[in-house]
Amino acid sequence: MLRAEPAPRVLTVTQLATLVREALEGGVGSVWVAGEISNLRPAPSGHVYFTLKDEQSQLGAVMFRSVAQALAFRPADGMEVLISARVSLYPVRGALQLYVDAIEPRGLGALQLAFEQLKARLGAEGLFAAARKRPLPRFPRAVGIVTALRGAVIHDMRTVLRARWPACRIVVRPVRVQGAGAGREVAEAIEDLNRLGGLDVLIVGRGGGSLEDLWAFNEEVVARAIAASAVPVVSAVGHEVDFTIADFVADARAPTPTAAAALVVPDRAEVAAGLGRAEAALRRALARHARDLPLRIDDLALRARRGLARRLAWERRELATSAARLGRVGPAPGLRRARERLATAGTRLRFALGIRVRQARGAVERAAGQLDALSPLACLARGYAIVRRGDATGPVVRDAALLAAGDPVALVFARGRARARIDATEPEKEP
Amino acid sequence: MAEPPAGPRFDDTLAELEGIVQRLEKGELPLEDSLAAFERGIALVRALAQRLSEVEQRVEVLLKSDAGKLALQPLADDEE
Repeated sequence: MLRAEPAPRVLTVTQLATLVREALEGGVGSVWVAGEISNLRPAPSGHVYFTLKDEQSQLGAVMFRSVAQALAFRPADGMEVLISARVSLYPVRGALQLYVDAIEPRGLGALQLAFEQLKARLGAEGLFAAARKRPLPRFPRAVGIVTALRGAVIHDMRTVLRARWPACRIVVRPVRVQGAGAGREVAEAIEDLNRLGGLDVLIVGRGGGSLEDLWAFNEEVVARAIAASAVPVVSAVGHEVDFTIADFVADARAPTPTAAAALVVPDRAEVAAGLGRAEAALRRALARHARDLPLRIDDLALRARRGLARRLAWERRELATSAARLGRVGPAPGLRRARERLATAGTRLRFALGIRVRQARGAVERAAGQLDALSPLACLARGYAIVRRGDATGPVVRDAALLAAGDPVALVFARGRARARIDATEPEKEP
Repeated sequence: MAEPPAGPRFDDTLAELEGIVQRLEKGELPLEDSLAAFERGIALVRALAQRLSEVEQRVEVLLKSDAGKLALQPLADDEE
């Protein structure tokens, strides 16, 4: 049996997805939901995807770039958060999706968390390291100031700078120091003053306020600009109890802008007093010099005399020592040996001479004995006489033929002499 | 844009003065050199004191146009 029934309404998938989406958006709409972030996935587009879960359930969530960029803190896996979201269907995947409008950490306030996170991150990067801190110039010629142009802060700083070091030139780069975009402005101002050049030190700051008021100085962009500054930066934010990220990165931190002004320039009165002391020291030194000169001359003369005396004594000692050594050592070993040889030779010579003399004397005595035995005197003593032709010095006559009648002769007896004349000769015939 | 102030830096001049005082105090310089050092030292003291007595405070504002161009403007005392 046929029953005419209305044909069932067939929907396309898209129509159904749209129905569900409308039902979700109309029935649930925007809600606040608490949960834990997991599987956080930042996309290159800047959107951030994550899963919000509790013990039993989980839902997909997306935070568009515009929302993500405005966040002070960084969502992370495991973080307990409170989310304001629109509940809808993502038709492409047919998945239920939370479209996040706002997100807040539970427990710590969002700003506090952001502060702690950025501090930990930049600290790990080494941006707060003491080694990065540059010394401030002693006598800056020009100071750059990044702060609001109107208000007590700049007025007070000018007053302090004028009182302490008026010769210092001041360049103010006015910025908004709170509100959306203030951080960006402060960072740009730091860059601008670096670009301007001629500045010796920068002061970046504002008066005190709530954490929200000071927030610009906790932004990463400001921290990076301070770290990148070629000119040393003094941070001066709020009152003494407030610490900002800028304080950690800066080369020096002053508790207030006024204190920063006092920190960057010396006190003119103190410097003038120092100059006075220097002048007094100069005069004293010269006066002492002048007063000391005659004394120094006397002293020098005394020292010269003493030195001369010492020198003389020394020379004398040296001479004595040298003489002693000379005596000990002798002029030279060679000479000493020569002298010894000479002495030996002398001894030997004297010895040898003695022998010779004794020998000679013996010979003479022997000869004398023989002579005595052979002496004609002995014959003469026996009665013989010697005839010499002429006188007693003439030749001895051994042959009568050498004489002729009338020749004078000398007769030598053992005792005395006589002169005679030859009467006649009787020469002996040759055999 | 920002011309550096003319003349030697205050630091450098002060350092020279300190050096002269030290040398003179040691008393090792000959008399002529001592006199010259003294005169130079006193001149430096005068020059530095002169710079200390400059009381004119110069304040400028660095403004940036929408095109990103920087411009310096003097800021009068009553402008705060």
